[in-house]
Amino acid sequence: MTNSSFTWQRGLIYTILLAFAALYLVPLYVMLTTSLKDIEEIRQGNLLALPDNPTLYAWTKAWSSACTGSECEGLAPFFWNSVRIVVPAVVISTIVGALNGYALAKWRFRGSEMLFGALLFGCFIPFQVILLPMARLLATLGLANTVTGLVLVHVIYGVAFTTLFFRNFYVSVPTELVKAAQLDGAGFFAIFRHIFLPISLPIFTVTLIWQFTQIWNDFLFGVVYSGPGTQPITVALNNLVNTSMGGKEYNVDMAAAIIAALPTLVIYVLAGKYFVRGLTAGAVKG
Amino acid sequence: MGSLSINQVTKSFGDTEVLKGINIDVQNGEFIILVGPSGCGKSTLMNMIAGLESVTSGTLEMDGRDVTHVSPKDRDIAMVFQSYALYPTMNVARNISFGLEMRGVDKAERERVVADVAALLQIDHLLDRKPSQLSGGQRQRVAMGRALARSPEVFLFDEPLSNLDAKLRVEMRTEIKKLHKRLGTTIVYVTHDQIEAMTLADRIAVMKDGILQQLGTPAEIYDDPANQFVAGFMGSPPMNFIRVDTCDGGDIEVEIGGQTHRLTLPCSPGIAASNQREVILGIRPEMITQPKPENTQGIAASMDFDVIEPMGADTMAIGEWNGQTLMARLSPEAGQCAGANTAIQLDISKCVAFDTANGDRIR
Repeated sequence: MTNSSFTWQRGLIYTILLAFAALYLVPLYVMLTTSLKDIEEIRQGNLLALPDNPTLYAWTKAWSSACTGSECEGLAPFFWNSVRIVVPAVVISTIVGALNGYALAKWRFRGSEMLFGALLFGCFIPFQVILLPMARLLATLGLANTVTGLVLVHVIYGVAFTTLFFRNFYVSVPTELVKAAQLDGAGFFAIFRHIFLPISLPIFTVTLIWQFTQIWNDFLFGVVYSGPGTQPITVALNNLVNTSMGGKEYNVDMAAAIIAALPTLVIYVLAGKYFVRGLTAGAVKG
Repeated sequence: MGSLSINQVTKSFGDTEVLKGINIDVQNGEFIILVGPSGCGKSTLMNMIAGLESVTSGTLEMDGRDVTHVSPKDRDIAMVFQSYALYPTMNVARNISFGLEMRGVDKAERERVVADVAALLQIDHLLDRKPSQLSGGQRQRVAMGRALARSPEVFLFDEPLSNLDAKLRVEMRTEIKKLHKRLGTTIVYVTHDQIEAMTLADRIAVMKDGILQQLGTPAEIYDDPANQFVAGFMGSPPMNFIRVDTCDGGDIEVEIGGQTHRLTLPCSPGIAASNQREVILGIRPEMITQPKPENTQGIAASMDFDVIEPMGADTMAIGEWNGQTLMARLSPEAGQCAGANTAIQLDISKCVAFDTANGDRIR
């Protein structure tokens, strides 16, 4: 049964939602259109206008020839630097987090709650606090200015979060499953592999997205612990925007910013529905 | 074979002592039931037998082998859990064969065992399904199948029927009893349902507050309870407890329907010896019936009934003795006309008496 006031309210709700969606999308729209304009058209000042003669000039320049400081090789080398940092850091921190979470949720030992509390504390430590001690540590380990060093920092920082995610997910798995598997002769890792891993897709997705976004978007660690050849894309983007050779090329800046943001956007589009599902997946019904 | 010996076993969580020195010897092939109210420690004891909880002190032996500190997988024990604990991502066949897989049994042998077990429990048609696609009763069967697959020395059942509806529970109860008859494997079974305990067990261990109250056959537990707790816990409806005065020679005096009756109980010598002025009389509802001329030992009396509860086969009638509520079990015909001043008959041959202070049996 529908009546007119009901549909009227529906209409209002959708109008408001659309308005807010538009508000959020305007910056992206401006970035995209600006990146496709040439610099002459940008100077005319019609920020919201569609490009008259769309061109990929800004994109190719941002990718392969824009200057980031003294070199002018575009963002490409830094993009791959980021990939080399993000992939191992995400994989390692997720695996460690899964095992930690599994152990803390289902293999309680003396002090395990305290250990979890201490790990949780790691989530609340601001990045800035550990900058100096971490720099000392990396220097001592001989990992200063290396990709490995950055991976290590991100793994350490990420494990607190990934452990939290997995632990809270696994806590809802009935402990009797573990007991049953123990009686069936399965050990710590066999239970993880055969019982826990197969139900973990949602939480793996959440963790992968979270870690990927965090590490890809990181600027502070990237700028502090990287060397000339190991800077991640966020640092390069900053350098690119701040390096002015003559006039400011807004179209190149915009294209570069989109390139830097693209991987996280792609991940969200591909796995976003699992992300929401994973966040809300509490109960595992047996 | 599957004998099990529990010697002076205790369990503490921090300062809380949940099991206080349990001694139970289980014979090979015996069906033993641990029963008690929730929090009595019966599930903890079962988990300790399985090796899922550590033993604080005391020892556990299986077939004379000390297994107190042996890991669960090396104990040759299989367990059926209250929640069934089926592996959610595996189908029924793999659920059943997982234990064999973990023990390195080859595939052909595993398939043979799964087929045997499935046939025995009539779940052949379910082998490809996931647990979430099964009904409660089917999950129960799969859980039992998983335990059977390994043909262990001892089965542990942790309240296996408590998640089933009443009708299915009775069916599965019969099925478990049949299965035990057929396999002859030792079973330790935890329940809080005293009817399950009475119907299934070879021997019942009644527990309360971490202490074993009594260990005996269902008949012993029912007719010869060790204390007031056991007497009240076993039997439905429960035994009536009436506070009564004692007289010289250990007889008791009780006011029934306005008349004072002096009764000589089987335990009257014991009451005399205990020098108590008051005791608690324990009398089961079925000992208070309509007059039965064939029982010449019966004591005739009359009393008032306030409430009549027909149950089909019997009718429960509620009245008072000594001003304390009491239930009688009448035939349906007698129940229909029960009310004020109804003639009854007492059978006091199985009456028991308990100490008013601590509930101990006076013999």
